[in-house]
Amino acid sequence: MSQSPVMERRSPDTGVGGRGPAEAAFIRIDGARKVFTQRSGGAVPVLDNVDLAIAENEFVSFIGRSGCGKTTLLNMIAGLEDVSAGRIAIAGKVVTGPGQGQGVVFQQHALFPWLTAVDNVAFGFRKSGLAKAERCRRALELLSLVGLDAAAGRYPREMSGGMQQRVSIARALALDPQILLMDEPFGALDELTRIELQQELLRIWEARRKTIVFVTHSISEALTLSDRIVLLASNPGRIKRIFPVDLPRPRLRTDPGFNALYQAIWNELST
Amino acid sequence: MKPLSRLSAASDLTLGLIGAFLAVAAWEISARTGLVDPAIFPSPSLAIRAAAERLTAETVADNLFWSLLRVFSGFLLGALAGAAVGIAAGWYRGFGALARPLIELLRPIPPLAWIPLAIIWFGLGEPSKFFIIFLGAFFPVVTAAYQGMRSIDPMLLKAAQTFGLSGVPLLLRVAVPAAAPDLATGVRIGWGLSFGVLVAAELIAADRGLGYMIINERNTGGSVGVIVVGILLIGALNLITDAAIGAAIKRWIGRWHGA
Amino acid sequence: MTRKLVQALPPLAAFTVLLLLWEAGVRYGFLKPYQFPPVSRIARGFVELSTTGFPTGVSIWSHALTTILRVLQGYGAALALAIPLGLVIGALPVVDKLTAPLIVFCRSVATLSLLPLVIVWFGAGELTKVFLIGYGCFWVMLSNVIAGVRYVDPTLVRAARTFGLKGLELYRSVVLPAALPRIFAGARMALGVGFMVIVGAEMIGTIQGLGALIMEARTFYRSEITIIGMLVIGLIGFAISAGLMALERAMLPWAGDLDRVRR
Repeated sequence: MSQSPVMERRSPDTGVGGRGPAEAAFIRIDGARKVFTQRSGGAVPVLDNVDLAIAENEFVSFIGRSGCGKTTLLNMIAGLEDVSAGRIAIAGKVVTGPGQGQGVVFQQHALFPWLTAVDNVAFGFRKSGLAKAERCRRALELLSLVGLDAAAGRYPREMSGGMQQRVSIARALALDPQILLMDEPFGALDELTRIELQQELLRIWEARRKTIVFVTHSISEALTLSDRIVLLASNPGRIKRIFPVDLPRPRLRTDPGFNALYQAIWNELST
Repeated sequence: MKPLSRLSAASDLTLGLIGAFLAVAAWEISARTGLVDPAIFPSPSLAIRAAAERLTAETVADNLFWSLLRVFSGFLLGALAGAAVGIAAGWYRGFGALARPLIELLRPIPPLAWIPLAIIWFGLGEPSKFFIIFLGAFFPVVTAAYQGMRSIDPMLLKAAQTFGLSGVPLLLRVAVPAAAPDLATGVRIGWGLSFGVLVAAELIAADRGLGYMIINERNTGGSVGVIVVGILLIGALNLITDAAIGAAIKRWIGRWHGA
Repeated sequence: MTRKLVQALPPLAAFTVLLLLWEAGVRYGFLKPYQFPPVSRIARGFVELSTTGFPTGVSIWSHALTTILRVLQGYGAALALAIPLGLVIGALPVVDKLTAPLIVFCRSVATLSLLPLVIVWFGAGELTKVFLIGYGCFWVMLSNVIAGVRYVDPTLVRAARTFGLKGLELYRSVVLPAALPRIFAGARMALGVGFMVIVGAEMIGTIQGLGALIMEARTFYRSEITIIGMLVIGLIGFAISAGLMALERAMLPWAGDLDRVRR
């Protein structure tokens, strides 16, 4: 709201294809590995040697089959899971935990069932030191940003899946994070709601200038939203290929460029 | 943090055994040092010695046999009857409308409250004990079976009907398996209740069984150690049988229903 | 509304027919009145119980009050101990693992089997009954509180961590409310256990309380009084459980379907 509206936004000029200069990288992942220790004592490599640079205000999607470690990578950027080897840094600072400017939207909304929509959003301000009235005012503001002012008093169980995920986005935006990390946020929604929320997300991204890392299973969702698509492969999880998406927004599925990229990604995924 | 979490993941059981050992050791020590009067609450070693002195293996086995016979027969028939009535009440609307009010009226009455009436109806012998253990299993199972039948996904029934199933085959091959998880929960609760009822019944009116064994020890002014060992024996019996039923249920529906 | 009435008619009619058959069966000598006291006799018994009382001077209300007070004392003490203890144990995984088998075992010990031992400790008086109720309620409550705290949806904890919450604050503002439905379910289960135990405990060594009433009535061949006592016990149990459910609904309006959190 405070920023000037940047409507006809194109892909940022830095970071395309990960080829940008090192200082332009906002999120830097260097040789990150993740190993899970099993109960029996064995070690399972989940992510192996991941290098990735994400520019400020960039919209990057992770795509790959189940078990390729894309959610784990997202959680590691969020500081919710530690890195077994290598490092992840945001704006030059190594990630040691959550609360370094990362907002997270989870797969299953993860709203607190005992709080109303507005209180769920206001929960985001708990550590902000703001007065209660101010927290509530800002929470309502964020709810109206996602078009839910009318549902402020509802509990999560009284809302549809789409509404729950909107509240969840509003909550993630509470501390005005520089980075929005989204783990298949629209995966459980019906197609119409999903398209609606995709448009909404792009609007928020443009209005508030966020760096977004978005995990998805859907090629067309990744193509509709992202500046770059990072394709991960399994066993162990690693980056297989990165696709820059140089198409103007809003993107149409009928666009030949869209289709060509779709085909290219599909070929890469199915080999 | 990390080594600790790995340690605990590897050795849940070891930690549990350590905890149990510590508790027994604390009990032993507090009785030996006189913190607790051993005449009132003897240490485990004393209790076992007293029990070994006063009880023969034959007595224990005989009482154990009677307790198990009562609880198994009562539970088995109670659970079967409960399952049959609950399933029928859930499937046949008319029967449900008649049976449910009666069940709902009697369900809040604890099984033990039936003891006097059971004695009035069946006398002081085995049938009255059988009857209240039967009730202990019947009510949880009938409730769970009915709820299970009412919460079957209607799509499942429709899907089966598209293959021409209807009537009793539909009930037995689709509805009952679909209600099985709820039924299993009821069976588990019913077992616990039957067991509790058994012990109470044996305390209040019986001349054999584990419950009788300990109350008789107290009434004849015997050893507290024997009572303590009896209590622990009953507890262990309950634990083992409950675990066995849990394992049986897991074998029955665990593969498709999860733990 | 009218549909509900119409639906309630057949069972009501069937019930009335059953009672009439019962009454007739006794009148014409097919059923022994001692074994199957007819409704008319139960009604007369109820009048006697609520005025003169049985044994003389102790009305049904005073029996009921005695029983309720005993249950509430043991239940209250159990909750007061089990809730804080469970909240602590559930928060410390190592302590939870140390105590888990012990708690499972103590829960498996049939409460009434403790009766002979507790009589040795406290005599056959009030304390014994309250202690037994407390024992039964305590372990049920404790294991439910621990489970409630331990099995909180991990995504909720993660979500709170993204806002910088940790330690005690995380526990208080996320783990605790998330555990509440399970804690309430435990409280309802424990109350059921309490009522079960009191009836058994009152059958030995007392003449006060509903459990004693139904047992005494049997000894004096007053089966109709036994039946009234049973119905009153059921009624009280039902009313208190419904009250707890209403309290739960009022306190946790967000939790939705209560039956989903049984087990």
